[in-house]
Amino acid sequence: MGRPYLGEFEELVLLTVAVLDGGAYGVTIAAELKQRTDRIISLSGVHIALYRLEEKGFVKSELGGATAARGGRRKRLFGITAAGKQTLGEMRQVRNELWDSIPTPSWS
Amino acid sequence: MNSNPHPPAWADRLLKGFCPPYLLEELLGDLHEQFEDHVQQVGESKARRLYVLEVIRFCRPYFLKRRAAHLTKPVLKTAQPFASTRDQPPHFLHPDMLRNYLKIAFRNLWKSKGYAAINVVGLSVAFCICVFLFLTAYLQLTYDSFHKDGDRIFQTYYFSNDPERPTRSGTMPLPLLPALKADYPELEAATRVIAGRKSLVEVKGNYFDKLVVQTDADFLKIFSFPLIRGNRAIALRDLSSIVISENMATALFGTENPMGKPIEVGNDADKRQYVVTGVIGDAPNNSTIQYDALVRPESWPGYQTGKDAWASNSHAVYLKLPPQINKATFENRLKPFVQKYFRGRLDELQKKGAKPDQQGDVFAVRLQHLSDIHFDREISSGRGAPIALVYTILAIAFFILLIACINFINLSIARSFTRAREIGVRKSLGALKNQLFVQIWGESTLLCLVGFGVGLVLTILLLPRFNATFDARLNLDYMLQPGFIGLILSIFLLVTLVAGGYPAWQMSKFNAVEVLKGKLSMKRPGILRNSLIVTQFAMSALLACCTIIAAQQVDYLRARPLGFQKDQVISIPVGTQVNGRQVLGRLRNKLVNDPSVLAVTGTNVNIGRGMDRVSSRSTSGYTYKGKDVTSDWLLVDYDYLKTLNIRPLSGRDFDRAYSTDSLKSVIITESLAKMMGEKNPVGLLLGDDADSTDSKLRIIGVIPDFHLYSLADQARPITMHISNSEPIHYIFVRVTPQSLAGSMEKLKAIWQEVAPQSEFIGSFMDANVDAWYQNEEQMAKICSLASGIAILLSCLGLFAVAMMVIEQRTKEIGIRKVMGASIPNIIVVLSRDFVKLVVIALLVAIPIAWFLMNTWLDNYLERIQISFWVFAGVGLSAILIALATVSFQTIKAALVNPVKSLRSE
Repeated sequence: MGRPYLGEFEELVLLTVAVLDGGAYGVTIAAELKQRTDRIISLSGVHIALYRLEEKGFVKSELGGATAARGGRRKRLFGITAAGKQTLGEMRQVRNELWDSIPTPSWS
Repeated sequence: MNSNPHPPAWADRLLKGFCPPYLLEELLGDLHEQFEDHVQQVGESKARRLYVLEVIRFCRPYFLKRRAAHLTKPVLKTAQPFASTRDQPPHFLHPDMLRNYLKIAFRNLWKSKGYAAINVVGLSVAFCICVFLFLTAYLQLTYDSFHKDGDRIFQTYYFSNDPERPTRSGTMPLPLLPALKADYPELEAATRVIAGRKSLVEVKGNYFDKLVVQTDADFLKIFSFPLIRGNRAIALRDLSSIVISENMATALFGTENPMGKPIEVGNDADKRQYVVTGVIGDAPNNSTIQYDALVRPESWPGYQTGKDAWASNSHAVYLKLPPQINKATFENRLKPFVQKYFRGRLDELQKKGAKPDQQGDVFAVRLQHLSDIHFDREISSGRGAPIALVYTILAIAFFILLIACINFINLSIARSFTRAREIGVRKSLGALKNQLFVQIWGESTLLCLVGFGVGLVLTILLLPRFNATFDARLNLDYMLQPGFIGLILSIFLLVTLVAGGYPAWQMSKFNAVEVLKGKLSMKRPGILRNSLIVTQFAMSALLACCTIIAAQQVDYLRARPLGFQKDQVISIPVGTQVNGRQVLGRLRNKLVNDPSVLAVTGTNVNIGRGMDRVSSRSTSGYTYKGKDVTSDWLLVDYDYLKTLNIRPLSGRDFDRAYSTDSLKSVIITESLAKMMGEKNPVGLLLGDDADSTDSKLRIIGVIPDFHLYSLADQARPITMHISNSEPIHYIFVRVTPQSLAGSMEKLKAIWQEVAPQSEFIGSFMDANVDAWYQNEEQMAKICSLASGIAILLSCLGLFAVAMMVIEQRTKEIGIRKVMGASIPNIIVVLSRDFVKLVVIALLVAIPIAWFLMNTWLDNYLERIQISFWVFAGVGLSAILIALATVSFQTIKAALVNPVKSLRSE
C-alpha cells in the first residue's frame, strides 16, 4: 500500500464528498451520512475526517457561500481531488477482487 | 427573523475556548446551520440540547492540540490552516517536541548513569525517611483532632500558684463533676473519664482483661467516636448498661450480635453484671482516650464511699462548652466555684504565702483545649508527647530533605557544564530561554519522580520494620488521608521547583556563542556549590552532635542512683484473674526455703514499665499541724524494703510481730518528714488535723527518698502502708546474683502452680526502669538514624561533586604530573578544597549544636555538662569521612597516566 491509510469513516466521508459534488461541507455531509447509514454522526467527527483528508491530499477546500442561517459565516466547501478519486477507485477494485475470490459453493 | 431561536451563547463561548480560531468561522457556521435544521425537525428545546452535545463533542484532542499550538503563536492565521503551521517552528509544548525532550532526557540519564543513580538513591532515601518522620509527626499533631466540635471540648485542670513551684494537675475528684453540672447548667455536656487498670471481664465462663472505662452518659455526647450499634442518647442511661468497643465485641462474642447480652465485670465480691446496650468504634491510635468498654461510674462498688471525697483525685473531666461561651469566659465563671468548694485549699496556699498570678488566682479550675492535652504532659500526667519532640522530628525531616535537594542541585549544576554544548546548539537553532528551561526542568522532574516512586516503594516495604524498631504504630491508612497526600505532593512540588528549577534557570541563561566557542565558563568557581556543600555538612554535623549529646544524657539518667537497688529483682504483674494477696501468700510458702530467693513482697505500683504497660498513681493530701502535705500513697507488703534494698534512716520496717502494722502503721520518706516539719517523726500520728476519729496512722519508720516514678520527675514524698483490704497488683522477688540466670524460668514454673489461671508476665526491674526513658530513647534512636542518613547523603553528594570537579581538572592534573608533582602532592592539592569546606561547616554547626543542646538539657533536673570532646570527635570524624569519600576519586585521578589525560587534543 503506497498511499496513506484511510479509515472506514474517512472513506465514507470521502465518498460523500464525491457524491455531493460541489455542495459538500460539514452540515450536508453529516446529513447525507446520517440519512444513508443510519448511525449517529457528529459534526466534529466529520470535520476532523475532512481536515485529515485534506492533509492527506484527497480533498481540497475553499471558503465561501455565507447564508443567514449561518449567521453570515462562510462555509468551507470541499471537493474531491484526483488523488482522492484514484484512491477510491483502487479501494473499490481491491474490494471487488476480494469479493470475487470468495468461493461460491459455500455461499448459500 | 426576531423570533428565530438562537443556540445557547455559552456553548459558542465554550467552542471558542478550545477551537483554533482559524477554524472557528466555518465550524460555528456549520453548527448554527445544523441547529436551524434541528429546530425545524425536532423542536427548539431538543435542538438546543443537541447543539450543546455537539459542541461538547468538539472538545477533543484534535482541536485542543491545534488550539494550544495556535495560542503560542500569536501570529494571525486566517484562511490557510494547514500550510501555515508547517512553516512555523512548533510550539515547545508540541507533542513532537515533548517526545524529543523525553528521548533526549532518557539518553542523557543513560549516558550519565552514575549521576542519575546517585540522584535517585539520594532522593528516594531522603523521601522515604521523610515520609516516616512526617507520618510520625502528623500522627502526633492530629492527636484528638477527629472529634466534631473539638474546639469546644476541654479538660479541666487545677492550677495552684504554689510559692515553691506553680503546679497544674489534670486529675479531679469524683464530686467535682456533679457539682459543676449543678452550678453551671449552661454546659452543653460534661463527663468524667475514669480509666484505671484493666478489669476482669467474664462472658459465659470465658475471662478477658479489658480496659473498662467509667464515664458519664455525656461521653457519647461530647466525643464523636462512632456508635455502631445502639442509641447514642440512651446507651449509657442505666447503671447496668455497658457500651463495648468493636474489638471487644469481636473478642467476646465473635460474629454474634452482642446487643442485650450480659457481661460480668470485676473480681469476686466486686463483681457486677452489665447488659450490652451499644457497640462503639475502637478509639483510633491518635486518641488520648482509650477504652475497651464504657460503664457508668455510679455502678462501681467504691463509688458510694468516694463520691464526696474532694481530696482524692482520680480521673479526668471533659467539658463541652456551648458555642457562645469561650474558654476565658468560662474560666472566669469558675472563680466563684473555687471559692465555694476549695476554701480549704485557698486558705492553705495563702497561709503558705501564695500570691495571685496574672489572672488573679491562687488556686483555680481551668480549661485546656482537647487538642493541646496530648502535648501537655503536666495535665495528662506524663502520657503525652512533648511538642518539642514533634518539632524536632519535623526539623530533622526538613534537614534531610534539604540535604537531598542540595545534592540534586549540585549534581545538576555540575552536569550542566557537560551539557553546555547541547544548550548552545539548541539556542542557535532557535530555542527560546523558557523552552530550554522547561526542557531541563522537566528532566529533573522526571528524575525526581523516579526518586519519589522508589522512595514510596521503600516506605511501604520498610514500614513494618520502622514500626518494630521505634515502637510506632504507623500504617498506610494514614498515608492515604487527604491532608497527608497534600503534604507529600507539596513537598514533591517544592523539591522539583527548588532542586530542578534553579539549575534549569542557570542553564537556560548560558550564552550560546560563548558556549559553542567552548569558552564556558568557570568564571565563578562554584560559590553556590561550595556554600551548599557547607550547608549540607553543617547540618550533618549538627545532627551528629545532638545525637551524641542526647545519648549521653540518657545514659547518665540511667546510671543515676534511684534510691533503691533495681538489679536482681523480678517484677510480676498479678493480673486480674487471681487474687494478688492469696497468690503472694502461696508464692511465699513455695519460696521460703529456697536459698536463691532473698525476699518476696507485694505492692500496687510497679516500678518502671513492666510487661503489662500499666502505670498508675494515687496520691493523698491532708493538713498536718497546719501544713499542707501531699504524698504518694503506696500499698506495700512485708519485706518491701528488704526486696528493694532500702535501709530505714530511723525506725523500722513493717514486721509481722506487731499486730498493728497491717492496720495503722505507715513508713514515710525523708522528704515527707521534711514537709511535715518534723525532725524525728517516728512514733508520731499522721492524719488530717480535722480528723478527730481514731483513724490516724502511726509512723514507724523513715526511709530515704527513692524514685517510684521516672527520673524526669523529682522524687516525691511517699507514704507506705499495709492494708489487707486493698488488692496487690505486683509481686517483687529478689534473688541472689548467682541464681539470676535461671531464676526467671524457675519462677515461671512455680507461678503456674500457685496461679494457674494467670499468665506469667514477669520481667526484670532494671529493664522496666529502663523503659521509663523510652521517650528519650526513641528520640535518640530517631536522631541517630536521621544523622546517619544525613551524613550518608552528604557524602553521596560530596562524592559526586568530587567526581565532577576532578573530571574537569583532568588536564590540570596531567600537566602537574608532567611538571613533576608526586602522587601524594596531587592528592593533597585535590583534597584540600573539600576539607576546607568541611572545616567551615563545622565552625558553623558546632556553636549551634552547643546552644541547642544546652537549652534541651536545661529541661532536666539532673543534666550532664557538654564535653568539648564530643565536638572534637564529631569534627575529626567529619573531616576523615569527607577525606575518605573524596580519596577514591583523588587517588584515581592522581594515578592516571598524564599521557592519556593530555593526549586528547
